[in-house]
Amino acid sequence: MAQQKPQKMKKIKTVKDINGVPTEVEIEVPDTGGPTWGPRGSHTILNHNIERVDGPAKVSGAAKYTYDVRVPGMLYGRILMSPYASADIESIDISPAEKIPGVKAVVALGNKSTKYEGDPVAAVAAITPEIAEDAVRAIKVMYKKRAHAVTYTQALKPDAPSVYQNAQGNIRKQGQRGDKAKADAAMAQAEAIVEHEFLIGMQHHACLETHGVMVDYRGDDNATVYASTQGTFTIPPDAANALSLKAEKVTAIVEYMGGGFGSKFGIDLPGQIACRLSKMAKAPVRMMLSRPQEFLAAGNRNGALQRVKAGASKDGKLVAMIAEQYDLGGLGEGGLAALPYIYHVGTVYQQSNSLHTNQDSSRAMRGPGHPQTSFAMESIMDDLAAKIGMDPIEFRKLNTADPFYHRQLDTGAKEIGWERRPKTPGGGQAYGPYKSLKRGMGCGCATWGGGGHPECQVDVFIKQDGSIAVQVGTQDLGTGSRTYTAGIVAEEFGLPVKAIETRIGSSKYGQANASGGSTTTASLAPAVKVAAVNAKAQLLAAVAPMLKAKPEELSAANGKIFVTSDAGKSLNWKQACATLGASGISARGQWSNELAGNGVHGAQFAEVEVDVETGHVRVIKMVGVQDCGLPLNRRAVQSQLNGGMIQGLGYALLEEHWVDSATGNMLNASLEDYKVPGTMEIPEMVSLIDDGDTREVVIGMAEPAAIPGASAIANAVFNACGARITSLPITPDKVLTALGAVKA
Amino acid sequence: MPDNNDRQNPSSLSRRQFLKGVGVVGAGSGLAAEMLGPEAEAAPAPLQKPPAGETLKPGMMPITLTVNGQASTMQVEPRTTLLNALRNHAEPPITGPKLVCDEGACGCCTVLVDGKTMYACMLLAVDVVGRKITTIEGVAKDGKLSPVQQAFVEKDAMMCGFCTPGFVMSVEAALHANPSATLDQIKSACAGNTCRCGTYPHIFEAAMSAASKMRGGA
Repeated sequence: MAQQKPQKMKKIKTVKDINGVPTEVEIEVPDTGGPTWGPRGSHTILNHNIERVDGPAKVSGAAKYTYDVRVPGMLYGRILMSPYASADIESIDISPAEKIPGVKAVVALGNKSTKYEGDPVAAVAAITPEIAEDAVRAIKVMYKKRAHAVTYTQALKPDAPSVYQNAQGNIRKQGQRGDKAKADAAMAQAEAIVEHEFLIGMQHHACLETHGVMVDYRGDDNATVYASTQGTFTIPPDAANALSLKAEKVTAIVEYMGGGFGSKFGIDLPGQIACRLSKMAKAPVRMMLSRPQEFLAAGNRNGALQRVKAGASKDGKLVAMIAEQYDLGGLGEGGLAALPYIYHVGTVYQQSNSLHTNQDSSRAMRGPGHPQTSFAMESIMDDLAAKIGMDPIEFRKLNTADPFYHRQLDTGAKEIGWERRPKTPGGGQAYGPYKSLKRGMGCGCATWGGGGHPECQVDVFIKQDGSIAVQVGTQDLGTGSRTYTAGIVAEEFGLPVKAIETRIGSSKYGQANASGGSTTTASLAPAVKVAAVNAKAQLLAAVAPMLKAKPEELSAANGKIFVTSDAGKSLNWKQACATLGASGISARGQWSNELAGNGVHGAQFAEVEVDVETGHVRVIKMVGVQDCGLPLNRRAVQSQLNGGMIQGLGYALLEEHWVDSATGNMLNASLEDYKVPGTMEIPEMVSLIDDGDTREVVIGMAEPAAIPGASAIANAVFNACGARITSLPITPDKVLTALGAVKA
Repeated sequence: MPDNNDRQNPSSLSRRQFLKGVGVVGAGSGLAAEMLGPEAEAAPAPLQKPPAGETLKPGMMPITLTVNGQASTMQVEPRTTLLNALRNHAEPPITGPKLVCDEGACGCCTVLVDGKTMYACMLLAVDVVGRKITTIEGVAKDGKLSPVQQAFVEKDAMMCGFCTPGFVMSVEAALHANPSATLDQIKSACAGNTCRCGTYPHIFEAAMSAASKMRGGA
């Protein structure tokens, strides 16, 4: 029997779940000799600031989004949606719409009832959007209203109407862990106990480009579907089905897209309706939701009701927690991250449930389920720290062993000037013209898995004339995937980023995964790297004879191919490519596990000013510290971190879906009334990449960036004025009410 | 009971719907309407000036807009907004200004009308005939990005990019009015613009950097 060669091993750093705590560990893995990213400091493009390759197109109006695609003969689609949260449809008459000049297709969707305001009922396609609006207005629908449950209090009533007919009530039990009796016993031993009911309403993605598609179908056997989606390859199968075409006959195009944040997967019901209208009219149809429709029928971050009791020992250890969570995801089941979130608690009993209401189904939204849990847990942390008289950062460090959090909390504290904070809640000096302003600071932490999957197929093409292109069907939501794709190839060949042509956003190109859960970078970047490495191997093999060297003795840098030991022996890029055959080089790359990582953390800080007379909260400064393995484009990582914190600021202070319990209608389905942060709300912001993370892998970080911001702001309000606000957003009325409680 | 009285199909008047209505039924001469209406026998000449005090009948009618220095003739309805005229009726389509809120709340459709920032979704196309309209497509000269555009690229002042044309227009107008604008003045100039990705800090950096360059600094 042949003796087996001992396998070569190498040490890598990774994050493992140890006792429920993500912890960095060093492990040994087989060294397959595949490509590596190389250590920090070895890059000239990656881990630097890279200018967005599509920046010039975006600042000049040249970037064409789905909403911008217009072809001759294109019709404008519009959907008629139910104005009632719950109703039976007794009859529907579309003939008045059909009679309007310019209307080319009208369809009643055939549903007999509606379960939420915004449920599609009928749709039209017309030669202008104005005429399409006339047409939906002309459709006559006879509704018979049914009793609805739109708020959680309505849904919890013993005699509440069942949102899902034939269901037993509106609560669906999701899970339970731990032993209640043991948790009670542990709680009895606690030195300090805090108990709160936390309530958070729905948040909206509020993508600036509304959901929609342009179905370019003219009655032939093929179609092109432009879609504002987070997944190019989620489009063709469903569109083909709706158009009765073969899937391979449908091409999806996602050249640019105006924000998704988790809400834009698949063709969606409006996309299917657009296909139906296009099929009827044998003409292209562009169907984009109106802004009110975007609020009513394009998803939301599920609200949450959380009852949490937690206890700590005198020396600052979390000993017990009893928690009950309800996710408020409308018709959907949103889900909430488990408590005690990132911290370790001795004994935990937790129950989780979904509570259904007659509202649009929730969808994934940046860090789905996490900001809600983070808000409850981080609020509990600061309350307990105050009760036992401990610094909130020290208290956190005592209850998580992960060195990432220790380092990130220290870095953030230093940046924001943590030592300036009042040592007791509300203990700072009041200042300002009316001596009504008080300052405080707070923090919070995040966790996210992320990680990559073996889906992406990336091609690199090099031509005899020196042109080089990288091609993959992925989409760029604004994260900068297009730019780092070019950057990785440029780094490999020692070329400027501008020399690389990047083709993305078409289902005709190589397969790519949908962008969700911060998995794009860890799925896409490794495949891009492998494709570039494979292409380089071919190029060096072709060039080697010219330089009288072996391929492995050659390097590529500064626009040259040269002998590594004798840089004088070199060819410039054009000369090197001229040695290629007429067909040039075509190399494919697939995902490599060794280039991708998972498990990210993150700490965020806020300093706020509370006006104790008016209840107004102003954020003065926010600091984020975020790890992501190897940062491919530092500037883009900072943009993501800024954006996550700003969405957290909106969640903390401004954003809430208002629904009227009597009529069942949403009261603020517009950007006028649903307030997202604007220039006047933006504080000083510092986004720091945690360079203490030296893992030689790439990991997505969009989700954790959007998790702890609201928690940090809520804790800063508590530190400033002593008011613990247990409901988001923190509006002046809540602050004043809570302050009244403090004074009493 | 037929009931389509919802927000997707408002029959209750919003501010802009009201404006759109006025555009159609403003008091004035019936003769002009005859001349301009769709039933006029000869092809009517494009509208040359805003219909001050005249009545325009519903239906398609030709107008000529001056966009980025070019005369552009298109068919619109009297109720068509400037934004929809540019995006849906101009040839070639002018799609830099984005339709986002359609009610003057987000600034993504910001254009310059006679040098002043305006929401293109809040103007009727017929009301800006004869006025100088500049869209984002008209900012770069001979393919060269303006200092503001260049700074947006350098500072990564965009993510998805859907709000970017509006922000660039607001910053352009602010800095042309006052190249010494402070950060607070920039924030104020862009207070009518919304970015959902949260790129504000880099937009502020880009604006201050462009201001410095426009003043002749480094």
